Amino acid sequence: MNNISENNLETNSRRDFFKKTAAYSVSAITAAAVLAPSKLLADDENITHHTKWGTTLGDELNKHPYGIPSKYEHNIVRRTSSLMSSAGDMHAAVSMCPLHELEGIITPNGLHFTRTHNGVAHVDPNKFRLMIHGLVKKPLVLTLDQLKRYPSETRTLFLECPANGAAEWKGPQFNSLQFVKGMMSNAEWTGVRLSVILDDLGLKPEAKWMLAEGSDGSEMSRTIPVEKVLDDAMIVWAQNGEALRPEQGYPVRLMLPGWEANLCIKYLKRLEFGENPWYCKEETSKYTVLTASGKAIQHFYPLEVNSIITSPCPEKPWTDVQKGDLVEIEGIAWSGHGTISNVDLSMDGGKNWFQANLKGLVLPKSWTRFSFMYRYEGKPLLLQSRAEDDSDNIQPTVNQEKAVIGVEGVYHRNSICTWEVNDMGEVNNVQVRS
Amino acid sequence: MFKLDHKSIVITAALVASTTLFTGCFGTSNIAESYNGSVDALDGGVTYPRENGIETAYAYNTQDVSGVNHGRVPTPNELKAWDADIMPDGTGLPEGSGSVELGDELYESQCASCHGEFGAGGKGYPTLAGGSLDSLTNQRTAPGMDAPKRTFGSYWPQASTMIWYIRDAMPYAHPKSLSNDELYALTAYLLNVNEISIDGVEVDDEYVLDREKFLKIKMPNREGFYPNIDGPNGVENVRAFFADRPKNIGAGTKCMEDCKDPNILDGNKEATVMRIGMEISNVVPAYSTVRDLPVEAGTSAKSETEKLYDANCALCHATDAMGAPAVGDHDTWATVVAQGMDKVNSNAINGFGGMPAKGGNMDLTDAQVIDIVKFMVDSSK
Ligand code: HEC
Ligand code: HEC
Repeated sequence: MNNISENNLETNSRRDFFKKTAAYSVSAITAAAVLAPSKLLADDENITHHTKWGTTLGDELNKHPYGIPSKYEHNIVRRTSSLMSSAGDMHAAVSMCPLHELEGIITPNGLHFTRTHNGVAHVDPNKFRLMIHGLVKKPLVLTLDQLKRYPSETRTLFLECPANGAAEWKGPQFNSLQFVKGMMSNAEWTGVRLSVILDDLGLKPEAKWMLAEGSDGSEMSRTIPVEKVLDDAMIVWAQNGEALRPEQGYPVRLMLPGWEANLCIKYLKRLEFGENPWYCKEETSKYTVLTASGKAIQHFYPLEVNSIITSPCPEKPWTDVQKGDLVEIEGIAWSGHGTISNVDLSMDGGKNWFQANLKGLVLPKSWTRFSFMYRYEGKPLLLQSRAEDDSDNIQPTVNQEKAVIGVEGVYHRNSICTWEVNDMGEVNNVQVRS
Repeated sequence: MFKLDHKSIVITAALVASTTLFTGCFGTSNIAESYNGSVDALDGGVTYPRENGIETAYAYNTQDVSGVNHGRVPTPNELKAWDADIMPDGTGLPEGSGSVELGDELYESQCASCHGEFGAGGKGYPTLAGGSLDSLTNQRTAPGMDAPKRTFGSYWPQASTMIWYIRDAMPYAHPKSLSNDELYALTAYLLNVNEISIDGVEVDDEYVLDREKFLKIKMPNREGFYPNIDGPNGVENVRAFFADRPKNIGAGTKCMEDCKDPNILDGNKEATVMRIGMEISNVVPAYSTVRDLPVEAGTSAKSETEKLYDANCALCHATDAMGAPAVGDHDTWATVVAQGMDKVNSNAINGFGGMPAKGGNMDLTDAQVIDIVKFMVDSSK
C-alpha cells in the first residue's frame, strides 16, 4: 500500500486551488474563472421552484402492467456494431451489455448481452420437449411443466462469450467499456441440477461426453464432458426471478457455471450421452483458439480469471472530478475457475500495484465487485486491475498472454486492460504491450 | 526458457503472497477460502463440496431427492426423429449421393448470395473455401500482414461437421430444407472448391459423392488441434492440459513493486502504451450516456426517402455549418422554394455552388432526388 500513500497525502482542497489561481492570475479570463465560487452560490432553480412532477398528477399505477425503466434512461441499452456480425446481418451477431451503467452484480434481463447464430427463436412453451437419451438405462422425454417439477436451485453466475474482447488482440479498437468487455452479464439463474435428473436415469459408466442440442434454426450444439455435467451443470428456466428471455434461450437453456456461454445451449431440446465427442461446428470451425504454432486449442471450456475497471471508463470519465476530490475506483472481477480471492490495482501501467477491496457478495463463478477510494491528483494515470482466484490463477498481462497464444486466438482473451486517464480526466482504452 | 522463468515467478509469487498475509493485508481472500473448495475440477478450477446443507454461500435442501422422476420414455419414432446427429465415425450419416455438378447448381442458387462465388466469401459472410494450412501460422503483429485463413479445407478437423451443419442450419433463412442427395451434392461441391481429394482421387466436376466415399475423407488439418479429445484418454488429456495452465493458456504473476513485464517479446524493449489507431465507432444505437427525454418516435417508421436523405444528404444538410440550407430552417427554405421548385430540383440534380450533383451519389435517380428534396422542403415548413 506504500506506493500510493503519496496520493493520499495530497491535501489540495478546491479552496486552495482557487487561492493559488488568484495569486498567479493576471488575465481577465482567469479572473473570471476565479469568480466562479460566487457563481456556485447562485440559487438552484431545481430547489427554489416547484417541479413539473410535483405539481401534476402522475400516471395510473398500472399503466405498464409489465414495468419499464424511466424514460430518462433510454440511452442505457445494449448496442451492436456491424463489425461484430456477418455483413451487418443482425441474426448472427452479438449485442453488448452496457457495463458502464450497471450497479451491483445483477444484470437486468433487458440488458443481458445476447449472441445468436440464427436469430432469436420464439419457442412455444407448450410445444417444448426435452429429450435425454444415449448411454442411460432409461431415456426420458419431459414437457416444460414436468421439468419444472424437479427440485430447483438458484445460483448467481456470470455468462460470458469467449469472444469477449476479441477485437483487441492486435491492439485497442473500441473506446468504450461496453464494447471492450460487454459480451458478458451476470444473473441469478434458477433450474434443476442435471445430476438430480440423471440420478433416476442410470447413466452408464462408458458415458464420457454429453451432446447438448438447441431447437433454434442453427440447431446449436456442443459436446460437454460428463464430469462437468455431474459436478455443477444445471438446466435453467428462470433468470432474475422470471422466465428466461427469448434472447437468453426461453424457455430452457443449459447452464455450465464458469464455462463458455456458447456451451450453455439455448432453446435446449436434447441431451445425448456417448463415449466419443461429436465435433460440432461450434467446437471445430469456431470457438477453437488458434495459437502462433498454427495448432489450435479445442475444448477450451472455462473463462479464465478476469477483471475490468468500470468507473472510471471511457463512457464515465473523471472530467467533472476536481483535483483533491476523493473518488471511488470501481470494477468487476470474475473467474470461471472459482471464486475471486483478490484484486490488485495499478496506476502506472503495471509497474506498481496495491490491493483493492472486494465488496458485496463474493460468490464462485460470479461477478465480484471491487473498490478503492482514490484522492484524484489531476495527473495522467494508466489504470489497471489484476484479479486472482482461489485456484491460484492470476490475470496475465497482454504480453504474457501473447507469449503463449499469439494474436490470432480470437477467443479466451483475459489479459489485463488499461484505461488511460489524461490530465483532463478523460478516459481512453489503451494497451500496455511490447 | 519459459519454464525456468516460470519457476522463479512462482517462487516470487509465493513470497509475495506470504508477506501480504503477514503484513495484515488479509483483504478478502478469506471468503474464497471459507468455501472449502479444492482444486480438482476437470478444467483446473475449484469444486465446492455440498456439505451439511451448504455449498459455498448457497444453502440447499438436503432432503433425499433420489427417486424424483417425471416425464416418460420416448417412443422409437421420437428417438429416430431427434437422434439424428452425424458423428465422425459415420453414426447418423444418411444414405444418399450427389454430384459436384449438382452441388455447383445448388450452391449458385442457394448459397452464393451470402458465401460468395466458389465459397470465396467477400460478402461479409463466412468464407467457405480458399484457406491454406500454411496460413495458420500467420500472426498479424503489424498492420498489413495476412490473416490465418480458416476454412473447411484448411481448418476443420472432421468432414462430418460440414454435412451435419449444412443439413441442420443452412441455407440460413430456411434451414432443414435440403434432401439427403442435395446434402451430398453440396458437400461434394465444397470438397471440390477446397481441393480435397478422397482416397487419392480428385473431387472433380464429375465426382459423385455417397456415404461410402464420404467415410473415406481425410481432413488436411485433422491433427491441428490439442488437447487430443479422442479415445479412452480424451477426458484425461483435457485434465492434463488445464493442469498446466501457465504453459498452455498463459498466466499472470504476482509482483507488487517495480514490476517488469516478464514476457516482453523483444528482450530489450520496454512495454509501451499502444493507443487506438482507427477507432471503431459505428455502433447502434450511437454512444450516449445522456439522461434526457427520448425524441418522440413518429407513429410510423422512417420512409425510404428519409433513409435516402439520411444516407446521402444529412451529412451537409443537418446543420448550416457547411453553408447548405439546414433542414428545419423555415426561413432559409422559404427563400429556396421561392425560386420555383423546377429550379430547386434542377440545382439538386445537377449541383451548384457547394452543392454536389445529387449530393455526390450518382446512383440516385432524378426521381429519387426530387422525392428527397420534397422531404427536405416539407420538413422545413
Ligand atoms: C442469407 C445468407 C446465407 C445463405 C444464403 C447461406 N448461408 Fe451459410 N452462413 C450464413 C451465416 C450468417 C453463417 C454463420 C452463422 C453463425 O454465426 O453461426 C453461415 C455459416 C455457414 C457455414 C459455416 C462456416 C464456418 O466457417 O463456420 C457453412 C458451411 C455454410 N454456412 C454453408 C452454407 C450453404 C451450403 C448454403 C446454401 C445451401 C448456405 N450456407 C447459405 C449465411 C448464409
Ligand atoms: C457535400 C455537402 C452536400 C451534400 C452531401 C448535399 N448537399 Fe445539398 N447543398 C449543399 C450546399 C453547400 C448547398 C448550398 C449551395 C449554395 O447555395 O451555393 C446545397 C443546397 C441544396 C439545395 C438548395 C438548392 C437551391 O436551389 O438553393 C437542395 C434542394 C439540396 N442541396 C438538396 C440536396 C439533396 C437532395 C442532397 C442529397 C441527395 C444533398 N443536397 C446533398 C451541400 C450538400
